[in-house]
Amino acid sequence: MTPVTIAVPSGRLMEGAMAALETAGYLSAEVWRSTRRLLLPGVDGRVRCLIAKPADLLTYVEHGAADLGITGKDMLLEHSSDVYELVDLGFGFCRGVLAVPAGAADGWEKKSPLRVATKYPRITERYFRSRGRPVEIIAMNGTVELAPQVGLADAIVDLVMTGRTLRENSLVEAAELFRSTARLVVNRVSLRSRAEAVAEVVERMRAAAARGAAPSSA
Amino acid sequence: MVSERWLQIPVGMRDLLPDDTARVRAVSERIVRQMARWGYREVTTPTLEYLDVLVRGEGAETADRLFKLIDRRGEVLALRPEMTTPVARLVATRLGGEPLPVRLAYAGQVFRGGESGPGRLREFPQVGGELIGSGTLEADAEIVALAVNSLAAAGVAQFSVSLGHVGFLRGILAGLRLAEPEEATVRALLYQKDFVGLRPLLERHGASPKSIDALLALPALRGPDALVQARRLVDTPEGRDVVRDLTELRDMLDAYGVGDAVTVDLSIIRDFEYYTGIVFEGHTTALGVPLLGGGRYDRLLERFGTPSPATGFAVRVERVLAAGGPREETWAPDVVMAFADGSRAAALACARDLRAQALIVTVEVLGRPWDDVAREALARGAGRAVLVRRDSAVVRNADGEEREVALADLRALARSGGSPP
Repeated sequence: MTPVTIAVPSGRLMEGAMAALETAGYLSAEVWRSTRRLLLPGVDGRVRCLIAKPADLLTYVEHGAADLGITGKDMLLEHSSDVYELVDLGFGFCRGVLAVPAGAADGWEKKSPLRVATKYPRITERYFRSRGRPVEIIAMNGTVELAPQVGLADAIVDLVMTGRTLRENSLVEAAELFRSTARLVVNRVSLRSRAEAVAEVVERMRAAAARGAAPSSA
Repeated sequence: MVSERWLQIPVGMRDLLPDDTARVRAVSERIVRQMARWGYREVTTPTLEYLDVLVRGEGAETADRLFKLIDRRGEVLALRPEMTTPVARLVATRLGGEPLPVRLAYAGQVFRGGESGPGRLREFPQVGGELIGSGTLEADAEIVALAVNSLAAAGVAQFSVSLGHVGFLRGILAGLRLAEPEEATVRALLYQKDFVGLRPLLERHGASPKSIDALLALPALRGPDALVQARRLVDTPEGRDVVRDLTELRDMLDAYGVGDAVTVDLSIIRDFEYYTGIVFEGHTTALGVPLLGGGRYDRLLERFGTPSPATGFAVRVERVLAAGGPREETWAPDVVMAFADGSRAAALACARDLRAQALIVTVEVLGRPWDDVAREALARGAGRAVLVRRDSAVVRNADGEEREVALADLRALARSGGSPP
């Protein structure tokens, strides 16, 4: 029987994802900490883990290269992939906010169109469209918090955890667009053609999340 | 670089080399032939339709996903994204007088202009069938059985068809007794398959714990026990009707001999505005996307002026191939022929006779010496290399053995159906 493949995100959510998989009994800590391999065998060979960049993870699951995946709600909101979102894994909590330079905290709403730099162009566009406000979106891949300082944008939409990055860049929160935690998603064909194996993974991950054993990322 | 555009094809499009073209054609033909045995006759509709037609069939949001163009008179046209709406238009305008039911098949390229992305083709071949004019379970059973037989005919080694019903989900939603705006938010989450956000949303709307449990149980509601569980979870008239219909359908499918290939699956979520009854998908474990999709769509034809129940499905041919259909053998000609000076007419007459017997014959047009022609052809898998002289021919086979035969014998052998010696 081919192992069920679970895509695990590198980066921010990786620790939490690995801890959840460990609690669920699929992975042993030594295995994933001791290797730089991207394809990891699971504890009993029935499951294997594929480490993927967050931006690619949903593609793997949507196309069936992975049967399941662990991803943030932020990615799901941005990409509307055709996957089943079945479990809130509880870790990786953060908020998506609109932030403006501290000095412009009062005047930003009058700017039209507002130039907003973000890694979440679709979420941002939906937000402003629903408020009937013109916006010019500058799509970026990283260090979005620098954009206002160098004159690239009037505001940013970015993830906030402790708020330190905003403070360090003299930005203040102007609005909250979404909240995000890690989610377990399933490929629509795997859900059907590997129903039993997938259902077992879903239940064990659900139980692991409920036990609250997965630590939230700092 | 824009200056090298002439070397490129647009995003989401692809060229198919001879082997793949042959495979696509073979799969399409097998499916159309299978459908023909069930009485489904192939029709052709234009690649370009008026935008209005496609929007009328599928709703205003479709327009975002179409390749649109404006003709010289300022009319907005679009490349068809699927064939069911064009066929509905065809039936309404040209087949109004036909006795029911009407059984039609189609095979053609469709175009989806939405986002391109990894593995997202914007043009792909579809083959499908529509059964128009019957609202019975008998018709539903026929279309599902035909779908199963089509995948088998196409050569898919392992596959399964999941059979659901939009009435089930609609029944649960009706049971929630929500006002339309609230129900719309619940539907939106269901279309997105967001079963995490569903619970808090339903709780906010004051839904009963029983309904919440029923909806959240949906992703797992498949298999032999699905109908039993469904009956327990949803005790509304619409829910009971669905369970009864699917039970009856399952028996009919057993009678068709396809019961083992079909699994009842109430977790299938498809557009309720379009589908009015059964919905189904075919898939194989080897591929992460479905091979075919279909269902009952009783409200489409009335949009074109001739109300009529209808049910059908479409197969994604390129996905059938991706799933690993039967591999055709490596191609090579049966005979590679060259001729000596003065023997052109004799050679071409031989070639004509051999081709008439369905052999693949190529004739040397590069003017190379025969030895080179023969060696290369045989090394690349040709059946025989033949050099035609005035009264005789030299025939060499793959082992390098040569024989001299009379021309008449060469042509006669072909006429008798045997390959040349």
